[in-house]
Amino acid sequence: MEEDEFIGEKTFQRYCAEFIKHSQQIGDSWEWRPSKDCSDGYMCKIHFQIKNGSVMSHLGASTHGQTCLPMEEAFELPLDDCEVIETAAASEVIKYEYHVLYSCSYQVPVLYFRASFLDGRPLTLKDIWEGVHECYKMRLLQGPWDTITQQEHPILGQPFFVLHPCKTNEFMTPVLKNSQKINKNVNYITSWLSIVGPVVGLNLPLSYAKATSQDERNVP
Amino acid sequence: MTDDKDVLRDVWFGRIPTCFTLYQDEITEREAEPYYLLLPRVSYLTLVTDKVKKHFQKVMRQEDISEIWFEYEGTPLKWHYPIGLLFDLLASSSALPWNITVHFKSFPEKDLLHCPSKDAIEAHFMSCMKEADALKHKSQVINEMQKKDHKQLWMGLQNDRFDQFWAINRKLMEYPAEENGFRYIPFRIYQTTTERPFIQKLFRPVAADGQLHTLGDLLKEVCPSAIDPEDGEKKNQVMIHGIEPMLETPLQWLSEHLSYPDNFLHISIIPQPTD
Repeated sequence: MEEDEFIGEKTFQRYCAEFIKHSQQIGDSWEWRPSKDCSDGYMCKIHFQIKNGSVMSHLGASTHGQTCLPMEEAFELPLDDCEVIETAAASEVIKYEYHVLYSCSYQVPVLYFRASFLDGRPLTLKDIWEGVHECYKMRLLQGPWDTITQQEHPILGQPFFVLHPCKTNEFMTPVLKNSQKINKNVNYITSWLSIVGPVVGLNLPLSYAKATSQDERNVP
Repeated sequence: MTDDKDVLRDVWFGRIPTCFTLYQDEITEREAEPYYLLLPRVSYLTLVTDKVKKHFQKVMRQEDISEIWFEYEGTPLKWHYPIGLLFDLLASSSALPWNITVHFKSFPEKDLLHCPSKDAIEAHFMSCMKEADALKHKSQVINEMQKKDHKQLWMGLQNDRFDQFWAINRKLMEYPAEENGFRYIPFRIYQTTTERPFIQKLFRPVAADGQLHTLGDLLKEVCPSAIDPEDGEKKNQVMIHGIEPMLETPLQWLSEHLSYPDNFLHISIIPQPTD
C-alpha cells in the first residue's frame, strides 16, 4: 500500500495563499475568509450561472453578449418568443457559493457549497444531484448519500452541501506520487480542485497549473 | 477496552421525558393534543418521531403540511445533533418534561439541514462514524468492515438494540496494546455563546511522556475559557450525557465509554445555572 499523502493545516493555508494570489492576478474571485474566533478560515468564491447555460464570471455582471441566445438561434425566433426566453433565463440565474475548508480529521481540503436562485430560494439536494455534470452522474447514482449531502458548515453553522472527503486521500496520493517522480511542483489545492470542482460546476482555468509550474522556476 | 459494560448500557438507555406541542399558528381541523414521549438520548429527533408526526397530522389537512421541524424556546433543533446533546446544550437547566414545539410550515432554511428521509439520517450517522475512525485508526477499521457490518451499526441504532450495535462497535473501540489509546480522540465541544457551532481539533489521548491526557487537559488546550479559575466562582458546566465528569477523568476512557453511537464525544459547555 502506498504511503499516504496527508497535508497539515499550515500547509493547506500556504497552498490556499498561493492559489488566491494567482486568482487575484486573473480576476477569478477567490478570497480568504478568516474565522472570527480561531486561527483557521477558508477559501471562498461566489459566482453566477444560468441554469443549463453559460457562466457569468463577474459578480452581478450582466454582459449583454453572455445572456443573449447565439445569433443564429435568435434569428430564427420571433421577437416575442426571444423576449420570453430571456425573461425565463433571468429567473433561472443561480448564485453559487463555494468554500474550501480544511478537515483536521481527514487532513485534506473539503469542498462546501450552496446555491440559490436570485430571489433567495435555496436549491434542494435533489436539484444539486440533478445538476451534477453528466460524466459523474453514474457514480452519483451508485451512492448518492455518500457523495454529496447537506451538512452543517463547521465554521458558519449553516447548511451547506459537501462533497464527502473520505476518498480524497485515495485519489490524491497517486497524483502527488507521480508529480514527485517527475520532479514537478504541485499545488495540492489546484490539483484537488481541478478533480472535484467539475462535479459541481466549478471549473478552473488552465493558467492555475501553469502558475504552479512557473513558481517552480522561480525557486533558486 | 476495559470492561465497564454497565456504563455503556446506561449511556445507551438514557431517556429524556418530552412533551411535543403543535405550534399555535399551525392550521388544524380540531384541537391538537400534546404528545408525550421518552426520547432516547443517543438517537436523532427525526428518527424517533414518526408517531409524533402522525399524531399531529391526524388533525391537519394535507395542504397545510410541509417538512416537519422542531423548536425549543425559539431555537430550531438541529436533528443531526444527537438528542442528548441538544438537551444538554439548550435545556439541561429546565424542568422536565422537555417542551418541544412542532412545526409543519416555514422551514428555517438557514438554520436546519433538510431531512427528506431516513436515508439522510443514516448517511449523516455513517459519515460521522467514518470521520471518527479516521481520527482513531486512520480509517482502517471502518474500511476493513463489510457493508453488512455498517448496516448492522445503523440498524442497531435505528431499532434501539444495544447488543446488535455493540457487537460491531466494539471493534471501533479497540487499539493496539502498545499504544495506550487512539491516535486522536474524536470530540466536539459545543457552546451556544459562539457563532461557530463547535470546536474540533486534533488531540491525543496520551502525552509524549506516556501520561494519560484528561478531560481537563483537553479543555485547557482547546477551550480554556471553559475552565473555571481555581479560586473563583464556578461559571461553567462541562456536560456529556447530562453528566459533569470529573476533569481528572482520562480522555481515552471517556471516548470508549461516553461517546455517542457516532463515536464522537459531544461535550457541552453551558453557563452554571444560578439558583
